Amino acid sequence: MVDIGAFTEAATQVFSRGDVWLIVIAAALYGVFVGAIPGLTATMAVALFVPMAYWLDPIAAIAAIITMAACAIFAGDLPTVLLRIPGTPASAAYVDDAYAFTRRGEAQRVLRLGLVCSVIGGIFGAIAMMMLGGWLAQAAGWFSVTEYFWLFLIGLTCAVIVAEGPRSKAVLSLLLGLFFSTIGLSAAHQEPRFTLGIASLYSGISFIPAMIGLFGMSEVLLNLVGGAAPAKPRPPVAPTLQRSTNSLALTLQEIGDRLRRRKMSTLRSGGIGVLIGMLPGAGCDIASWVAFAASRRMQQKAQAVTGDEGEVESQRRSLDSIGDATTANNASLAGSWIPALVFGIPGDSITAIVIGVLMMKNLTPGPQIFDEQLPLVYSIYLLFILANLVLLPVGLLAIRVSGTIVQIPKAVLFPLIVAFCVTGSYALNGSLFDVLTMLAMGILGFVLVRLRMPTAPVVLGIILGGPLEERLVQSLTAANGNIAGLVQRPLSIALATLFVILVGSMLVESFRRRDRQAT
Amino acid sequence: MKHLFSERETFRHARVLCAAMVAVSCFVMGCGSNQEFPSRPLTLICPWSAGGGTDRIARQVAVQLEEELGVPVNVVNATGGGGVTGHSRGALASPDGYTLTLATVELNMLHHRGLSAVGPDDYQPLGLLNRDPAALFVHKRSDWHSLADVDAALAERAEPMNASGTAAGGIWHAALIGWVAQCGLPSESVNWISINGAAPSLQELMAGGIDLVCCSIPEARAMLDAGEIRCLGLMADERSPAAPDVPTFREQGDDWSLSSWRGLLCPRGVPPERVAVLEAAVDRLSRSPKFAEFMDSGGFQTSIADASEFTEFLSRSDRQFAETLGSPAFVQSQTAVVRPYFFPICLGILGLIFVVPACRSQAAVATEPSVAEESDDSSWSRWIRPAVVILAVTAFVATCETIGYVLATAALMWLLVIVFGATRRQTVGVTLLAAPLLYQLFARTLGVPLPWGWLGW
Repeated sequence: MVDIGAFTEAATQVFSRGDVWLIVIAAALYGVFVGAIPGLTATMAVALFVPMAYWLDPIAAIAAIITMAACAIFAGDLPTVLLRIPGTPASAAYVDDAYAFTRRGEAQRVLRLGLVCSVIGGIFGAIAMMMLGGWLAQAAGWFSVTEYFWLFLIGLTCAVIVAEGPRSKAVLSLLLGLFFSTIGLSAAHQEPRFTLGIASLYSGISFIPAMIGLFGMSEVLLNLVGGAAPAKPRPPVAPTLQRSTNSLALTLQEIGDRLRRRKMSTLRSGGIGVLIGMLPGAGCDIASWVAFAASRRMQQKAQAVTGDEGEVESQRRSLDSIGDATTANNASLAGSWIPALVFGIPGDSITAIVIGVLMMKNLTPGPQIFDEQLPLVYSIYLLFILANLVLLPVGLLAIRVSGTIVQIPKAVLFPLIVAFCVTGSYALNGSLFDVLTMLAMGILGFVLVRLRMPTAPVVLGIILGGPLEERLVQSLTAANGNIAGLVQRPLSIALATLFVILVGSMLVESFRRRDRQAT
Repeated sequence: MKHLFSERETFRHARVLCAAMVAVSCFVMGCGSNQEFPSRPLTLICPWSAGGGTDRIARQVAVQLEEELGVPVNVVNATGGGGVTGHSRGALASPDGYTLTLATVELNMLHHRGLSAVGPDDYQPLGLLNRDPAALFVHKRSDWHSLADVDAALAERAEPMNASGTAAGGIWHAALIGWVAQCGLPSESVNWISINGAAPSLQELMAGGIDLVCCSIPEARAMLDAGEIRCLGLMADERSPAAPDVPTFREQGDDWSLSSWRGLLCPRGVPPERVAVLEAAVDRLSRSPKFAEFMDSGGFQTSIADASEFTEFLSRSDRQFAETLGSPAFVQSQTAVVRPYFFPICLGILGLIFVVPACRSQAAVATEPSVAEESDDSSWSRWIRPAVVILAVTAFVATCETIGYVLATAALMWLLVIVFGATRRQTVGVTLLAAPLLYQLFARTLGVPLPWGWLGW
């Protein structure tokens, strides 16, 4: 099945060229840099690179894009963990869990785990793409708008599964986010809604400034009134760690250890990442939410069997879930290449750019690329593996450097965070209105935390609200307004059933919990 | 908090700071007194998101314009509102020649639909770059092989045919409805599903959710080359070099053509000598072999026109759209099956259902001892410092456009550092270093334009 000649040609193309190695390393550093700045996404990193791609040959250009995307998604974890500002939307699912470790002075532990799992996820994704690419692309072709509607609905329930505290509050946060997503010119009707006549609101609430505000800005405000609301004691931040705990050898050992100990969950989250990544319109952000929720759900089941556990155990669980989510978001990067290569349909905005770059080089992605350009396809597989291997040392370096952030005195660090929040939200669209959005969301986040309502579901609501409504309207329009149109195809019935089971089991669980409290 | 109220301390901070700022600004002014146009980076507004066709062209134009003009050209994706945001921001930018817009056909459409106050008259055209005609696509397993087949099917079928290609009211929607009306068929025979973009529409065509897709050839090229879809006709006067074997609508007996376009414009009111510089640069760029090669390899159909031809084209195209978008067929086809407020109302109902249990658990939380303790010392003074931060950021937004990013950020940082109670050395250090470094990082290294101001910084 594997064409050995083409494979060796691809391998020599990728591994024996000095310039490819140089480009990969430069792209890795650049990707980490852009990903670590809140407000700049992996897509932005790639888009800024496009004019340069014009002068490179296809292999070098693709190598650079793959590497910078993988590194940017990992680097998004750096501000997430250290400052509670998600660097890219893919890190939004686990902000609060990860930041809890930073408060205990264990930021480096989470970051190293994130790196390890990103590398595992990336390589898993590459292997899945190699083995199942063609078959999976066929499956992606079955999804019509109705199936997407159910999928997005399932994605939304993940926010409720993940949230700490009462379910009703999580649902309210989610509804708030969904409401924000309806502000502006609606995608399906092109009708302005809730804009209060303000022209800037026509484009709606952009979710990146909203995300920066809800997490970053609100944290600054909370600190100013003296302690974040869930009043946990905050021990001093630990000194920088010793050289030994951050070495490459130790990290490699950790990878092996994780693969052995958490075989099933790695497989599960990698699979979730690839599957969601390959669906056009659902990217690494959603993959990371779903994997995080799946991991939580499994743990809750296990916990129900063994009963309540101590602090150490719950920390370990939290780490495991973060690891699963980071595995999934890097695996989804490879997943999004599957429909792009097989059909020429981009799986996300990054692969949309890639298709553009390939066409610039007179290569049209699609089934015939497998016949005419087989070595190129193999090189793409190999480049994914190479990119993730380079991510390892570069990521360790980034963790080491970013460790100095926690040593900056608070009186200097917090103003700097505000400056980054302001500049980052401006940078996305070059609009001062986005800075105001960020500020308003910062205040909202502050209020929500004080009311003990979770903030993360608001973000997911804003991300998924638009697509969810669009798919609902599209499905209903196609069925001429008949609700039964939502469950007419076998695949949509299956997904709807899954959704009903999820919601049902959650309801049963909360009733049971209330009964237990009552007695 | 001590620092906030200690006036003398604040005054001392301010004095040190002013001296330093004056020194820095003298240095910068000295460098930037060049009066030749252009003497600082240009901004190119792209109304569509990164990764799409317009964005790709914008980035190529930026690179080549940079070579022509000798200053950096930064692309800003001002997205949202179906093109409203980018097109209005481009028209309302200050007319100094430093902001250009890569406008698309929506400039001709949005104002006719009452969605935007901005039309072609608010712009000074510089040059047309490309035109992509609409084309009609079906699945490879479809029974229709020519326009006549579709025509017959539309006339016969009792239930409407599902079609897409863009959001309702978009260019390809107008193209299809215009053709249907031209054929004398009722507009209800087509049920336009509002899918945002050509790629997801083609995906939906593959999944079997819709029967027809109307979009341009480059948007469908990958799947067309792969043989997954079939093109029935091109709404143009001549065949496209990108797909020479696709017949035009005219060849099949329907006199109907409609295309999208992309062109460079600047706001009306730019001094004529600057317009001349820009026009010349755009003209050289669009006629360069490098640009032609880029457009060819991207599958975009080049259609170059200089400023005067472009102006004429814009008004002609505007008349055509006034007719199509105002026609009863189009207005009728816009009445949606699902009302715009259907989804928000669903959300509202769900919200009401969940408010009760949430309030109940909130009440439970409030009685916990830890919270009761905390709320004890809620004297009003705790809220001063967050309020100062919020006001400071608001003031930044209000003043940044006039005084410039570096000065505004320096002022913001100065205030914040004091609010957080830093030492004097930290205050001076952060205020002086943070803003220029951030500017360097975003504007120089990453090419994200930040507001200009008094210092030209």
